[in-house]
Amino acid sequence: MTVFNRPWATPLLTQWALTRRRLGIWIRLSLLGFSTFVVLFPFIWVLAASLKPPMELNRPSLWGFTPTATNWVEVWLRSPFARYFLNSIVVGVLTVTVSLLVGAPAAYAFSRFRTGGTWLRFLILAAQMLPPALFIIPFFLMAYYTGLLDTVWALAMAHLTFIAPLVTWFLIGFFEDVPRDLEEQAMVDGCTRWQAFLHVVLPATRPGLGAAGLFAFIMSWNEMFYALMLAGGHSKTLPVAIAGYWTFRGVELGKMSVAILSAAIPVLVASFFVQRFLIRGLGGGAIKG
Amino acid sequence: MASVTFEHVTKKFENVIAVKDLTLHIPDGEFLVLVGPSGCGKTTTLRLLAGLEEVTHGRIYIGDRDVTDIPPKDRNVAMVFQSYALYPHMNVYDNIAFGLRMRKVPKLEIERRVLEAARMLEIEHILYRRPRELSGGQRQRVAVARAIVRDPAVFLFDEPLSNLDAKLRVQTRAELIKLHQRLGTTFVYVTHDQVEAMTMGTRIAVMKDGVLQQVDTPQNIYERPDNLFVAGFIGSPPMNFFEARLMPEGESLWVDTGAFRVPVPPDRVPIYRSYVGRRVIFGLRPEHIYDPDFSPPLNHPAEVQARVDVKELMGSEIHLHLVADRQTFVARVDPRTRASVGKTIRLLFDMDHMHLFDAETERAIR
Repeated sequence: MTVFNRPWATPLLTQWALTRRRLGIWIRLSLLGFSTFVVLFPFIWVLAASLKPPMELNRPSLWGFTPTATNWVEVWLRSPFARYFLNSIVVGVLTVTVSLLVGAPAAYAFSRFRTGGTWLRFLILAAQMLPPALFIIPFFLMAYYTGLLDTVWALAMAHLTFIAPLVTWFLIGFFEDVPRDLEEQAMVDGCTRWQAFLHVVLPATRPGLGAAGLFAFIMSWNEMFYALMLAGGHSKTLPVAIAGYWTFRGVELGKMSVAILSAAIPVLVASFFVQRFLIRGLGGGAIKG
Repeated sequence: MASVTFEHVTKKFENVIAVKDLTLHIPDGEFLVLVGPSGCGKTTTLRLLAGLEEVTHGRIYIGDRDVTDIPPKDRNVAMVFQSYALYPHMNVYDNIAFGLRMRKVPKLEIERRVLEAARMLEIEHILYRRPRELSGGQRQRVAVARAIVRDPAVFLFDEPLSNLDAKLRVQTRAELIKLHQRLGTTFVYVTHDQVEAMTMGTRIAVMKDGVLQQVDTPQNIYERPDNLFVAGFIGSPPMNFFEARLMPEGESLWVDTGAFRVPVPPDRVPIYRSYVGRRVIFGLRPEHIYDPDFSPPLNHPAEVQARVDVKELMGSEIHLHLVADRQTFVARVDPRTRASVGKTIRLLFDMDHMHLFDAETERAIR
């Protein structure tokens, strides 16, 4: 009705609204661009550093150098870095597998049968609440006596002590989102409870399992304290290997940069593949509809 | 196909009794509707039959087989949940086939039966869609297809229509009735909607607070309710109740509510005579109250005066909310009625359809 009351105002208003919208888009774009730059800057810096010849490293300029692959060749081909990389993958995969195998049924039990009440749910987090330094001596001795010291097994087990409970907690919410009707339907359809869990509940929580798996992998991949104490030699993992470029002669920035980038890329790639699940999972409502 | 028998079945949840000493026989091929207000134990009864809840006391039989301690998967029942409970990660075909796969039915046989069920429910064109891509009505059909494909002994329905819109609900109601006629299998159907109960059931079982109130054909439940609860629950708008006393006058008996006096038909006098002077509850359905101008010939009419409080036009009829000396009641009258709000009008009670209940036990006096 405004159109009829104040016909003179309409074209002016429309034009102003249009300008305002364009302005809004530009402001938003530049804010986004700026934040992206802030987030990516360290990576860009590290990428530049990894391509710089050793002589250029301590110069402040970001771009004024002749790129070289020396650091990449040194790290990947002339040092055991590839093995450490593989160690990290093995430890990560072991941790993810076991924590999902244990965590999914545990979380299902917590969400469906209220196993142990709230008390037990908190108890499984107890190990999380104490400083890791408290556990390191027992872990070290156990690994020593079982002959597992400096193996990926010992490290994976240490990681499981805090990752499996977190995965369990993470998954409880996903199982609570699965309507009970679904598994009851499956049971009427001819499943035992266990089959209903395997055929219906687990597939329905795939987004949650994906997110929990990635989460577990990243935690294990980045963990340094236990890795340093339990697997410092032959079975060294990436965080320890990266720290190893901090030598008594100084920090080998070039090689360290290569190692850092090499460590960050798998996580980025994995996140990319799981992001669909992550968004759906963390956003909730994955099952309802 | 099989009959279902509950024998003194009780179900307790911690300290709540959900179902109390239920004894009920459902003959083979019957469409039994369990109806009652929420929390009356009807869904629990269905879940006990499905095996999703454990019986506290008593036994349940499907056919001659005692299934009390048998897990759901071996009871040969199929269930349609209120939420339809379609498996979200499977397409429609796999949803329907799931039960057969779990029972290791050969692949070709599965395909034949899935297609047959899909044809019966007219969902062939959506077989390869996921549940999230379906409308409410389509999901409902898939849930029913998933039930019939298994060819179970008993079908269980837990309020399957309550998530549908009104129009679709009426249509699906008719389809389920047809489905029952076609399959001839025992149906046990839970609803809180008395219209569904009346229209669908071969027999209706009315429950309240875990106790079975009455089991009978819709006609009998409507015409001869056993107690005050059943009388008030079945029928819309519900039956009118008046606290009253029975007064003798020579050979005849009168129902005296304080607001009005109406005579008991002579054939019922001997039945009610022992209640003379005692407190009773007089019941009459809104459809048995007439505007004298549009009344059919009645054998035992009784005239009552009341003031019109509210007038609701329903299209084919008018609901009059009436007041007679603080007693309020509802009449369903002819839409041509000249009654208007605020006016006192004459009404005819069809006393042949009167109900009388003992005020203490709330049981029908017969």
